[in-house]
Amino acid sequence: MFRRRLTGVLAAGVATAALLAACGGGGDDAADGPVTLKVLTWEPGGTEYWQQVKSTFEASHQDIKLDLQSVPFDKYPEVQGPYITSQSGPDVMANNAGLELFDRRGAYTPLGDKAAEINKDLVTYSGACEEFDTSKPCYGVPFSYQGNVLYYNKDVLTAAGLDPENPPATWDEFGAACDAVKKAGKTCLALGLSGTFPAYWDFPEIARNYLTEDDIRGVLNGTLSWKDPKLVQVLEKLAEITTKGWANKNAPSITMLPDGADIFQRGDAAFAGTIISDAVNWEAFGKALGDDKLGVTRWPAINPSAPLAGKFSGIEGAVYGVTKWSEKKEAGLKFITWLAGKENGELWVKYAKGQPLNKNVDPALLPESPAFKKIQELIAEPTLHAGVMLSGPEADALARGWQQVTLGQLTVDKWADQMQQALERSPTKKQGN
Amino acid sequence: MSISTAPAAEPAAATTPPAPVRRTRRFRHAREWWFGALLVLPALALAFTFKLVPLVRGVTTSFESSSGFGDSSFAGFDNYTRMFDDPMVLASFRNALLVVATLPVWIVVPLVLAVLIHQRAPGWKFFRAVYFIPYTIAPIVVGIMFRQILAPDGPINALLRTVGLEPLALEWLNGRNSALFSLVAVALWSFFGLGVMTYLAGLATIPDEVLEAAYLDGAGFWRRLFSVVVPMLRPTVAYWSVLCASGVLIWLFPLIYALTQGGPGDATMLPEYLVFLTTFQFLDRGYGSAIGIALFVFVALISVFSVRHMFKEGTRKPR
Repeated sequence: MFRRRLTGVLAAGVATAALLAACGGGGDDAADGPVTLKVLTWEPGGTEYWQQVKSTFEASHQDIKLDLQSVPFDKYPEVQGPYITSQSGPDVMANNAGLELFDRRGAYTPLGDKAAEINKDLVTYSGACEEFDTSKPCYGVPFSYQGNVLYYNKDVLTAAGLDPENPPATWDEFGAACDAVKKAGKTCLALGLSGTFPAYWDFPEIARNYLTEDDIRGVLNGTLSWKDPKLVQVLEKLAEITTKGWANKNAPSITMLPDGADIFQRGDAAFAGTIISDAVNWEAFGKALGDDKLGVTRWPAINPSAPLAGKFSGIEGAVYGVTKWSEKKEAGLKFITWLAGKENGELWVKYAKGQPLNKNVDPALLPESPAFKKIQELIAEPTLHAGVMLSGPEADALARGWQQVTLGQLTVDKWADQMQQALERSPTKKQGN
Repeated sequence: MSISTAPAAEPAAATTPPAPVRRTRRFRHAREWWFGALLVLPALALAFTFKLVPLVRGVTTSFESSSGFGDSSFAGFDNYTRMFDDPMVLASFRNALLVVATLPVWIVVPLVLAVLIHQRAPGWKFFRAVYFIPYTIAPIVVGIMFRQILAPDGPINALLRTVGLEPLALEWLNGRNSALFSLVAVALWSFFGLGVMTYLAGLATIPDEVLEAAYLDGAGFWRRLFSVVVPMLRPTVAYWSVLCASGVLIWLFPLIYALTQGGPGDATMLPEYLVFLTTFQFLDRGYGSAIGIALFVFVALISVFSVRHMFKEGTRKPR
């Protein structure tokens, strides 16, 4: 009798547990409590900003909780890779706009018709779409803007007898300014070439003088050869930066961040070409040198009449999309829609000190720094960013080639050959893919 | 005295145990065998799961062609033939050979230091306290530290300039050869403590009287080292040699990552770092695996001589 009753109780328990498990199985329609979204992120903008994202979003979306899996940026590919190959893991994740995202597009749910509606208030979102074309499938939502400018130290320019309010605007003027700065005992351009970072960022600044937007799409598709005279000229001008002695001598063996930036922040260099958002930007330099001592300008033009010479090579920052395998796609879509919105744009400005993409961000919230305001002017006319069109092997060969050219171990022609070989080795640019 | 031609009694019959005893012995043997197998099984399972399976998977992947995170297809020997035309792969293996050429330094330097500590040379107490510290610092931290130390305006060059050796104050990480050998020197600094500890453990087995007798016979430090210590420490030297031969290329990875990222150019590019770049940065898994397998064969070829030597030492009967 007792055994039968015990069996009955156990069976009821098992049935109840099974029912609960089924209900809590993670579908979108969970009626018993909020849906928990797993978000894989490298926390662009910093931890404080992401804590604000979590608390602000959850406050306005009682039905969704965020479970942030934060991974350092340099470890991110190692963590994300296995998720993608096993088609499991987070509901929402991120990749940098451009080729990095396109390489992984199979892991994201295309936004379809909703892309235009979600991103309607953004300055641009083409970096989240195939071939930078918003009429083609888009895979996520950006909210930050990135690109490269030339920061300069007004005191160093003044000491070299230059006018800090009129920094060099052309390549020749820049060369003359460098001669003056060197005579004054300082480095002209603080540069660190170890790693792909500076080559990847500086390449578009030169490329704008020779390439059209169609050419840049050719770089993306792998149809523009590195032996093309236009690209060879770009490499020649990149080489000049170091072979003419404009940069610090140890550039090939140090990194731009933090080593190259340190040279500039110490006040030992007149110029530093680096990014506008995230790590080491106008805010860090302003703190180190004083906001009033920090100037911002466009990279000097080589061919001022070139159609893209006066534009800004900009690229959306991290793009967040809903994973293909997520069972909570609706909640994921709500989250990324919110990321593209004004509320998050304002958090991005306030806590990450970054450039927002949302056009409706309250201007009163924008930082007062003169450098930030100048950047706002420069980014007003954007064009495609040639750097993010490079595949991994191309970016690597660009950086290593620049190091070798600087050390006199390689000619520009051989560098172009190596770039072409790197293009042919790029699995994501194989023709016919 | 007469010689009997009668067959002698079989002594074996006298020593053959009765059947129940034989059964008990066989049962005991079987039980010991199974017990031994049971003890070995976890190690075998771990080796199978974490060594053999990834190795087989690596070999399989090396015959595949992949594009980003998309599906892969069978590529035959394409990835292997590609390596012969890839200047970066060739440069990485050329650098690997240069690193392997430094093996004698890896073997001798810790040995000399261990003998100095063992023989209580002046300052031995201090060295005994600190020699292992570099090994306890994470290699990635060592890399970051030495980025500052080896900087053109860093402490090493400052010291050289102070003592009047300005011409030796190089840009250590900027030159084609200086970068690779600086990297090896940093790795040696990081790992020599393990070698010293290994040798000290071996030296503890040499009776003090032997070294004292050599000392009283007038043998100097180097004579004692090469005529007494090294012959008696042969198994330990062989063990450390195998460890270095198989590890030296792999130990360098975190240092390359933190110090040079394989540059300038391809000056410090080693196969393991290239595997990482090709697989995770270039998203070319098949080709990355093929380079990895080539590295495996390279290290196996280098290690095989040392392993053979160690095996002979281990199986040599005591005289």
